[in-house]
Amino acid sequence: MSEEVKIIEKKEVPSGAIMLYGFPDVGLVGVIAASHLISELNLTEIAYMDSKLLPPLIVLHEGLPHSSIRIFGNHDVLLAVSETAIPADTIYPIMDALIDWGKNKNVGMMVSLSGIPIQDRQDAQELKVFAAASTKEMLKMVQDKGIEVLNEGYMVGPQAIVLQRCARIGVPAVTLLAQCFLNYPDPEAAAETIKKLAVITEIKVDVSKLREKGEEIRLRARDVMKRTQQEMTKMKKTQEYDIPVYVS
Amino acid sequence: MASRRKRSIFDIIGEYFEDLEEQAERLGETLMERPSWNCRSCTLEPLREIMVTPTEVIVTVDLPYTEENTIQVKPIDKNIIEISAKMKRKIRFDDFGITHYKGEFQTLHCRTRIPLPVYMDKMEIRFKKGILEVRLPRRHEYAISIE
Repeated sequence: MSEEVKIIEKKEVPSGAIMLYGFPDVGLVGVIAASHLISELNLTEIAYMDSKLLPPLIVLHEGLPHSSIRIFGNHDVLLAVSETAIPADTIYPIMDALIDWGKNKNVGMMVSLSGIPIQDRQDAQELKVFAAASTKEMLKMVQDKGIEVLNEGYMVGPQAIVLQRCARIGVPAVTLLAQCFLNYPDPEAAAETIKKLAVITEIKVDVSKLREKGEEIRLRARDVMKRTQQEMTKMKKTQEYDIPVYVS
Repeated sequence: MASRRKRSIFDIIGEYFEDLEEQAERLGETLMERPSWNCRSCTLEPLREIMVTPTEVIVTVDLPYTEENTIQVKPIDKNIIEISAKMKRKIRFDDFGITHYKGEFQTLHCRTRIPLPVYMDKMEIRFKKGILEVRLPRRHEYAISIE
């Protein structure tokens, strides 16, 4: 692990778990999904990130300081989540440290939860969830389970690094991307990623509360969304709309 | 042909500073860090986006937890619109778990500058899934013909 980024373990970490990522990105899909999973699965904090690369910021919960990037878990699941937008220029060392830590814990698979923005999202009747994977075998697995693959295009942000690094170090990884708003918190899209997570893993969670509380979540998540927009601009997130030049 | 008054150096400098002030104001609107809430006016600031097409300027505003029949969209200038909507109930800081601030909010409110000339009087509005969409036809003040 890099000296710049340390992951401090607070509890025993299970071996062979599934590691999930929920980071601030389009529609805050990953963060909203992660928050719901933590609550529904009663996940507890088992590790946190300590790094001077992060802004001088702590999150206070019940008066006590916490790192903005933490790992929650139980016997079967590890979930890395960030409560604030990650500065664009620190994404590589932060994600590399988390992925390498997960590999050292022998995680069976890594799954990033995020979104893919669509125009006129408010008119969409159903939100599709697309998948991309680190290997052909993982891609076949998601296709066999009926999830549409994101065939061509660009991916920008934490989930892009997860796929790239996992492909290199031989950890099976999948990214689930639900159609969503670009710049507005989207709890409906978060619910769709959780439903598809249940299709490819044993993690089954009821999403009805997420739907019921959708408007409250949108109201509450405005500030994090705004900060995330600023970081997405810096990392040229809108490149995901670009049509790639085909290079075989 | 109408005669044009010759501008003095003071007119030019005056216009230059007026232009600078306007630019600083615009920059301030977009860059200045400020809370997304205002306890004095009891308002929360909604997220919004502006999109420009060849024919329209489209403003969308995220207005969760609001009643559709309370939404107001008012042009307050040739290039500024003011949007407000009442929430279904008063929201207090402690609803968000925050106890070190006191205050309650009942309205989502924002002002948005329209980046191009538009016909404010031809504004069209719709509200769906908590998203307000304001469509303003663009005013093309001149066109350059290709010879």
